[in-house]
Amino acid sequence: MSLLFKSRNSQNERQKKSFLAAPYFFFINLIRQGVHSLGEMWRTPLASLMTIAVLGLSLTLPATLYLVVKNVSQVSSGFEDAAEISLFVKETMSEQQTQTLVKRLALYPEVDKVEFISKGDALTEFKQVSGFGQALEYLDANPLPDVVIVTPTARYRQPNTAKQLLQKLEGEREVDFGKLDIAWLERLNALLSLLKESVITIALLLLTSVTLIIGNTIRLSIMDKKDEIQVMKLVGATNTFIHAPFLWTGIWYGIIGGLFSFICVALMMWWLGAAVSDVAGVYETSFDLIGLTLTEFGILVALATGLGFVGSYLSVNRYIKEIEPDKV
Amino acid sequence: MINFQQVSKTYPGGHRALEKVSFHIKPGELAFLTGHSGAGKSTLLKLISLMERPSAGQVLINGVDLNAVKSRQIPYVRRDIGIIFQNHRLLERYSVFDNVALPLIIEGTHHKQIAKRVHGALDKVGLLDKAKCNPATLSGGEQQRVGIARAIVNSPPILLADEPTGNLDPELSMDILRLFEDFNNHGTTVLIATHDIGLIARMRYRSLTLKDGRMIDDPLAEGAL
Repeated sequence: MSLLFKSRNSQNERQKKSFLAAPYFFFINLIRQGVHSLGEMWRTPLASLMTIAVLGLSLTLPATLYLVVKNVSQVSSGFEDAAEISLFVKETMSEQQTQTLVKRLALYPEVDKVEFISKGDALTEFKQVSGFGQALEYLDANPLPDVVIVTPTARYRQPNTAKQLLQKLEGEREVDFGKLDIAWLERLNALLSLLKESVITIALLLLTSVTLIIGNTIRLSIMDKKDEIQVMKLVGATNTFIHAPFLWTGIWYGIIGGLFSFICVALMMWWLGAAVSDVAGVYETSFDLIGLTLTEFGILVALATGLGFVGSYLSVNRYIKEIEPDKV
Repeated sequence: MINFQQVSKTYPGGHRALEKVSFHIKPGELAFLTGHSGAGKSTLLKLISLMERPSAGQVLINGVDLNAVKSRQIPYVRRDIGIIFQNHRLLERYSVFDNVALPLIIEGTHHKQIAKRVHGALDKVGLLDKAKCNPATLSGGEQQRVGIARAIVNSPPILLADEPTGNLDPELSMDILRLFEDFNNHGTTVLIATHDIGLIARMRYRSLTLKDGRMIDDPLAEGAL
């Protein structure tokens, strides 16, 4: 494209044979620039490696925290299965009325399982477990009520839905009152959501710092190549042409930094795996650590690449404009 | 080809580098621009290559008013003008071949075409055997010739040279000037800024003289009036 001499256009654009040639050459050029800037990074391996290590470690921390949340959620979802509602039947109810209650409760769509414990059974169990066996002999009557233990379906095991169900069940005529031991579950869930929130905050801070680190690295490399940029501008390079290699460098930092952090996370999982199964053994449960899935790995690398691009774009946009050939 | 109309340039801070300079260089002409250091030679060349904008007046190249050229169009103007610098401004990280190829790479020329034209340009300046060398290993005269090869590789219609013989002995300077004559014979418009009066005296070309930012001697201007 010639601005001053229209006749030069035909001479320069002869090579463009078809309308598909332009995007083709654009694409080829893009790949060539990408490979070239990877080669440029290889010229200063130590500096590049250090930048990549900083980025990788900065990304490892949020990734690890994410895994912690993911694994803790898995553990707590196991606990939530224990959510049960105990319904105490009014003392005035006859045995038959109680039995119809049990049958009716079993028909509730929210209810998974119903277990009936008669006051007699309860007393026997209490005698055995409490150690008050002898003392209880002196009681005139059985002070314990009949109890129906209701296990809600999975949807109604969440603290708030279980509460709704409890209210509904307490509405039953035969029921004196119900009890749902969810305080500890609420506490656990509150802690878990606090953990999630802090992971998001920490991740945001660290991702910002990743962007700034890449931006600063690119800024230094722009300053380093100031003379080169001036010469390029003098022989007619557009800003886009000068930007490309720096943007590519930022993208490469992102990609390699992302891979580096994935390796760090994988190593850590492997390292912690044995310790975690020891702990699980002590608690007589089996528990496997969950690592990053393929999708999550993809998101990690894509995120790092995006941050690399944004960081370098900010620097390139800001600093290359300032470098003009006359300001020598 | 290069037409200055009442061009003035005042730098921030009040220094008047050029004052109402007018001249016209015709297509295919070779002209010298002389004057003492600080007379405004470099400023005049910077106005042509759009490194600076005039404070007043117009610079026309091939009839196009450079005042109308937007910032983002500047690269395309520079592709039509080959510029040769006193300190050659070669990229030391790249080979001679890559340095000369730079304008073609920027234009997106096909790589087969690039090799052909770079070799052609290096052949013209007599450095074909140094294509793979690093510029830092070459002598001053050779480096200057690499700079010339880079300026002519995309056959620009206009060639500007700022003190191209500044650091060279008279014999090498003559060689360089012969190169410019050769390009001129092939139709390129050439403007050479130099303070080497002895060099110009030996050649019968038009010479424009600047003094304190004013055009004090232009043989053609008098004839035109």
